[in-house]
Amino acid sequence: MALKNFPEQWGWLSKLFHWLTALLIFVQIPLGFYAESLRLSPLKIDVFVWHKSLGMLILLLVIARLLWRIKSTIPVALATSRLQQLLASGAHGLLYTLMLALPVSGWVTSSAANFPVKLFWLIPLPAIVGPDNDLKSLAAEVHEICVFIIIAVLLVHIGAAMRHHFVLRDSALKRMWF
Amino acid sequence: MKINILFLLMSLAAGLTSAEQWRDNSAASKLYFAPSFEGLPINGEFRQFSVNISSDPNLQPESLIVLVQIASADLGSSDLNEAIQMVDWFDSQGFAEARFSSDQIVATDQDNQFVASGRLSLKAAEKTIEVPFSWQQSADGSIRMLGELKLDRGDFAIGSGEWSSGDQIGLAVKVWFDLNLVGTND
Repeated sequence: MALKNFPEQWGWLSKLFHWLTALLIFVQIPLGFYAESLRLSPLKIDVFVWHKSLGMLILLLVIARLLWRIKSTIPVALATSRLQQLLASGAHGLLYTLMLALPVSGWVTSSAANFPVKLFWLIPLPAIVGPDNDLKSLAAEVHEICVFIIIAVLLVHIGAAMRHHFVLRDSALKRMWF
Repeated sequence: MKINILFLLMSLAAGLTSAEQWRDNSAASKLYFAPSFEGLPINGEFRQFSVNISSDPNLQPESLIVLVQIASADLGSSDLNEAIQMVDWFDSQGFAEARFSSDQIVATDQDNQFVASGRLSLKAAEKTIEVPFSWQQSADGSIRMLGELKLDRGDFAIGSGEWSSGDQIGLAVKVWFDLNLVGTND
């Protein structure tokens, strides 16, 4: 299997990036809602350490993924109309934006709340901003809005993949699989 | 007349030998504390406190009383500030004030360095602690008093119940101060 992308096929690095971020996001979103729902307790703090650790891992992965994408050939779109093509690239752009905005707004929230973080209980995460109550509320709001948008866009993304695979019976899903 | 002169002399003598009283100039005095999370410090301070100290005529500190308004604890964010006032932590509703009063102050063999030992009553507990500090008069006549100590929050049941292990929120809490003291005798 090729490392690099071809016009009709994703290379294995792009596939790995795709499915790894997908997996992490599917753990991360419920983890965030769970952490938020808990009363203040050692458990809540531990769940948040997991959430922040995974979030920073996702941020790193997404940055690497974007750099790789910029350098790579992108397989040709399988859209059946101009509108579909537009929707698809819009959704992909939005997903990348949200995959950056979510970890960054979470990082700002945590730093502005003056809470120190050790990623995976090992690596101290530097504060991205100083303590600031107003900024903390704003960043938390942005984080929450972004999570609802990403859930909606992911549903569209998955729905479109299903449609390509089961209705249009094209290679959209297959060429992203190993 | 004779009595008046005698009285004058007596008061002069008393003035020379009497203790001096000092208290903090709150605008220029800071009392900091730093709990830790996973070994990383969270720096904070008490915004309201008062320090009263008396010295002998040679400016040797003799007794120290510190009162701290617990509800004024500030860790830099409203989330943390609300959390630390809860019953498991400071419980400032039940215990509004912490008090340290020295039993004795001894000079160490280093210049301007002293150790006050005394009782700290904080939350429901009273413990004997030692407060090392430096004490030096500035050109304007005020005193600069600096010191640092470590307290074990477990001694005072701060962070009780599920928080008492210290695994996440460390048991050792650093406390330090930089005080500007002004004389209150006149």
